[in-house]
Amino acid sequence: MSVEVRNITKQFGRFPALYGVSLKVESGELVALLGPSGSGKTTLLRIIAGLEFPDTSEGRVLFYGEDVTDKPTHKRRAGFAFQHYALFRHLDVFENIAFGLRIRSHRTRPTENEIRERVEKLLKLVQLESLAKRFPSQLSGGQRQRVALARALAIEPKVLLLDEPFGALDAKVRKELRHWLRQLHEEIHVTTLFVTHDQEEALEVADRVAILREGRIEQIGTPEEIYDYPATPFVYDFLGNVNTFAGRVHDGSVEIGASKFAAPETAGRDDTDAVAFVRPHDIRVTRRPGGPAKLAARVVLCHTAGPLAHLELERLDNGGRFTVELSKDQLRQLAPKPGERMFVELRNVKIFPEDYSI
Amino acid sequence: MEAVAATHPARPVRRRLPTAESPFMRRLLITGALLFLGLFLVIPLLAVFAQAFAKGPGFYFKTLADPQTLSAIKLTLFTAGIAVPMNCVFGLAAAWAITKFDFPGKNILTTLIDLPFSVSPVIAGLVYVLVFGAQGWFGPWLSAHGIHIIYAVPGFVLATTFVTFPFVARELIPLMQAQGRTDEEAARVLGSGGWQTLWRVTMPNIKWGLLYGVILCNARAMGEFGAVSVVSNNTQGQNTITLQIEALYKNFNLTGAFALATVLTFLALVTIVLKAWIEHKEARLKL
Repeated sequence: MSVEVRNITKQFGRFPALYGVSLKVESGELVALLGPSGSGKTTLLRIIAGLEFPDTSEGRVLFYGEDVTDKPTHKRRAGFAFQHYALFRHLDVFENIAFGLRIRSHRTRPTENEIRERVEKLLKLVQLESLAKRFPSQLSGGQRQRVALARALAIEPKVLLLDEPFGALDAKVRKELRHWLRQLHEEIHVTTLFVTHDQEEALEVADRVAILREGRIEQIGTPEEIYDYPATPFVYDFLGNVNTFAGRVHDGSVEIGASKFAAPETAGRDDTDAVAFVRPHDIRVTRRPGGPAKLAARVVLCHTAGPLAHLELERLDNGGRFTVELSKDQLRQLAPKPGERMFVELRNVKIFPEDYSI
Repeated sequence: MEAVAATHPARPVRRRLPTAESPFMRRLLITGALLFLGLFLVIPLLAVFAQAFAKGPGFYFKTLADPQTLSAIKLTLFTAGIAVPMNCVFGLAAAWAITKFDFPGKNILTTLIDLPFSVSPVIAGLVYVLVFGAQGWFGPWLSAHGIHIIYAVPGFVLATTFVTFPFVARELIPLMQAQGRTDEEAARVLGSGGWQTLWRVTMPNIKWGLLYGVILCNARAMGEFGAVSVVSNNTQGQNTITLQIEALYKNFNLTGAFALATVLTFLALVTIVLKAWIEHKEARLKL
């Protein structure tokens, strides 16, 4: 009951979209395809649905082990939700959801009663029972996307493909629908692949996340795995805010100012420049030097709006700037003023074997 | 509160929008536009009807009932009845191909569709005379087999079809381009075959645009003069409405010419009303 792609390569004119991508979504799993725009994630989704085709014969698409690469779109039974919903504007909500059932040849078409039953069940599932007679133009964006989902689910798809399903919605509705999608998935457990460029959305909703970069899968794993053990600087950077610290590699450790951190990844390199990555919430700021807090920095700016405060600092030794995230309580205790000297402790310093510039 | 409101009634403030003209300028522009329309459109239109009824309604209906005039109306209806459906099917196919697929030569096709708009109708007629006429490429072969195109009904149909070629396609292409392909893609993924997608998704999306194109195409088909004039043989019987009007006019039957002209004018008015109605429908649909 799994969906798999093997060795997919695709070019648009001279612009490559995918390079030999392979991915397997296990039965009932919810996998997020995460990547910046132009990374090829939508193209991969469209190839699975049969809306595009891989360029080479090595590229295969398999549904439940069956090779569907040469099957036309309308015979694949894939549920697809488009970013801009693509609801049929001349049909009301009920008829939009019923569309995939009504167009079946009369041998496989459910009876009128069965259709009504199934559509009503789906309307309930997407919490739109009261809007069955509305037309798409009379619905909000979030409602439209839920209709689109119900329409895709009506054909009992082998796989549900969601192309930036919440991309066109405002931030608040996005968050609500995100939770709702996760709940829906717990309820119906249909194998789902969804495309997003929002790392928060991917980490929160998906069982596994595949990160795409320029047509290749950079890393794939559970949200915890990819967040805690990013395989490449790109993944690290893409998943959250990042500070970079220039340092020097020595003997399998890295020196940043007066601090020394173990960096077994750099074992092969000696006495070279290196870049270390630290998340803003992994930096502790104190007024006095002591213990691990050895790096001196000057306060540049302090942003206090929102639930967390952000402190912008500048290293005294080489002028490199970085941002620290603190709670409002910590900020009150520290009470920093622009221009003051502070000392910082870096935690969870991440060094990658190969250098990379963000 | 109410007492306060009564003693100080809020007065609406009227300020002119930055893009609005002064009242004087506005009146001047509106009057100018109306005068122009009256002089060049309304008065000639009224003149047509005045002339047509100059000898009374009896004469008017007698002219229309004349067998030659009746046959002209019949021929026009017949010609339009073939040319319009043909261009409707062709226009739909061309618009579908251009907007829903990518293929080599797409730009050439798009340009070719516009050709009949840029070529004079007289030349359109001449082209068919050159191809199918007695001295044309296929003329000798055709006449040897007893097929008559030029100076016969097929000639009228061909010339009219050529001239009205772009109307439906031109109307549909921008509409279908704006709608994109995702509705069709959604239908395909849901299990819909090609024809089902056309009838259940594409057609409902474009029906008003298509009807609009058909109406314009029909109006032009019935009103065409230049192209059919070239392929017709004025001395022998068969005439379309426009040709018959010219024939009556040249025979100094002014009232008769205008009587028949009212038929075309009436058609034009119906077209305008239908056009307005469709635009209204479309505007409501876009909400």
